[in-house]
Amino acid sequence: MRKRTLQRGLTGIWWATLFFLYLPLAVIVLFSFNSANSTAVFSSFSLVWYQRLLGNEQIINAFGNSLILAVSSSIVALVVGCLIGYGMYRHRHRKLGWLIILIYLPIVLPDIVFGISEMAFFVEFYRLTGFLQPGLGTMIIAHVTFQIPFVALIVYSRFVGLDPTLFEAAKDLYATPFKRALHFLLPTIKPALISAFFLSFTLSIDDFVISFFTSGPESTTLPIYIWSAIKKGITPEINAIATLMIGAVAVAAILSLLFNRQGRR
Amino acid sequence: MAESSRLAARNRGVVSETRHLLFSVAPGAAWIFAFLVLPSLYLMSVAFMSNGPYGLPQMPLSLDAFKQLAGFGFLGWSPGNLYTLVRSLWQTIVSTLLVVVIAYPVAYYITTCRERWRPLLLLLVVVPSWTNQVIRAFGWMNLLAPGTPLSDLADALGLIGPHMGLYPSNFAVTLGLVYNFLPFMVLPLYAAFEKLDKALVQAAQDLYASPTRAFWHAVFPQTLPGLLAGTVLVAIPAFGMYVIPELLGGGKGMMLGNLVANQFAASSNWPLGAAGAILMLIATFVGLFAMRRVGRRLGGGEEVVI
Repeated sequence: MRKRTLQRGLTGIWWATLFFLYLPLAVIVLFSFNSANSTAVFSSFSLVWYQRLLGNEQIINAFGNSLILAVSSSIVALVVGCLIGYGMYRHRHRKLGWLIILIYLPIVLPDIVFGISEMAFFVEFYRLTGFLQPGLGTMIIAHVTFQIPFVALIVYSRFVGLDPTLFEAAKDLYATPFKRALHFLLPTIKPALISAFFLSFTLSIDDFVISFFTSGPESTTLPIYIWSAIKKGITPEINAIATLMIGAVAVAAILSLLFNRQGRR
Repeated sequence: MAESSRLAARNRGVVSETRHLLFSVAPGAAWIFAFLVLPSLYLMSVAFMSNGPYGLPQMPLSLDAFKQLAGFGFLGWSPGNLYTLVRSLWQTIVSTLLVVVIAYPVAYYITTCRERWRPLLLLLVVVPSWTNQVIRAFGWMNLLAPGTPLSDLADALGLIGPHMGLYPSNFAVTLGLVYNFLPFMVLPLYAAFEKLDKALVQAAQDLYASPTRAFWHAVFPQTLPGLLAGTVLVAIPAFGMYVIPELLGGGKGMMLGNLVANQFAASSNWPLGAAGAILMLIATFVGLFAMRRVGRRLGGGEEVVI
């Protein structure tokens, strides 16, 4: 009897939590279809904000910047992080404490300290040398910095999960290091590389604080655009663009679920 | 002769291994060093300079920034910064506790469901946090603004002044923090619950322990590693949070992150901002270290993430 009450209580908490988690998102989606520019009263259904969105050059630009930033930083981070991951694995018997600290540093540093350090550094560096003017370039550098650890850790854990004798086998077949990398290492860690790329891409697209502090006037990304629109109080199209971003997340969630299902079969 | 050639070969091996280590690790290590370690060292040095025109740091070295952080200004001492510090701590503690209270039953509920549903349920908890945090805070702004049903309800209950709205306020910040960090607690707690040794609970029940006693002695200690990991993932980023207090808190809901950021934007006092950043770093590392110590003492070992 008591057990059933407990279970019923738990179920109640579960649904209440889900309601709490999805309520703010639902409100955004709902009011993106509101014909009036209000977040308190829903007048009637309309797609007027989505039409406005397509005509807003700033938003299109910001979207383009977000994509350029995410793709290019993920590619750089993938190469550099993959190398570190491999190095960590090959030399795991050595004392690499300094490397571990270096890799965890971008993860544990508070976003705001991270962003402000980079900003102060880039501003001062530009003033002294004339290089690295704040803009897309500095944003890419900053993003790569926080993506490297994730790539390295994913690649490293993939290597740890492999059978060590595989490496010996590849050596015994007299493959040159280059051939070994091409025909053995890269194919075996391909799943890790793919998931590392997508994680980096997501981290970059999702990032606001670090982008905000390292950006220049010309390199507004989508989150920065939304932020400044909210700050200025000009928000008519924000619901619509936020809805599109929520939609993208929903698609990603469904895809990840499908992939998981497939992976377990 | 043979001896020396073997030695030479071994040396060559060591050299080539070291070179391998350098080639694989150096690019990334150098990248993080150049673009994170150097900048943070620069920022720390800024805290010890004096504030020049336009807020840029200049010589001579001084400790003014730390005095200003403690509240000493041109007009004598004022408690403003101290309030911000205490508020940051308070918000962190309250929101972490609330997150634990909500996440505990939720994580347990997921483990009571059928195994094939669990990934889906976990995904349902995590997915909202995949949307951008600015958008999530904006959602709460829409919900809590004056004139919305929630605000009207609070108004009718006499919880807030008329036409005030629930946002901007400290309450909105707490709510935003809980909303933001809930998944980070559910995941490690779920992992702990899934590994739970049910035999211990059974034993407690067989020994006629009351449900409360059984919980505290048989269940709770087993979930402690997950709880600690979750606390690290929630409390440390919450303390340095910038976006949520900035959007939901207004002037009276400011936290340390906003104090720091403002010094690099509107009020322009880089040394003061850098001093605040140092304080935040110290808090972060003290927090991490403390959690690690506690985790070791409790025998959580590897389960505590960092």
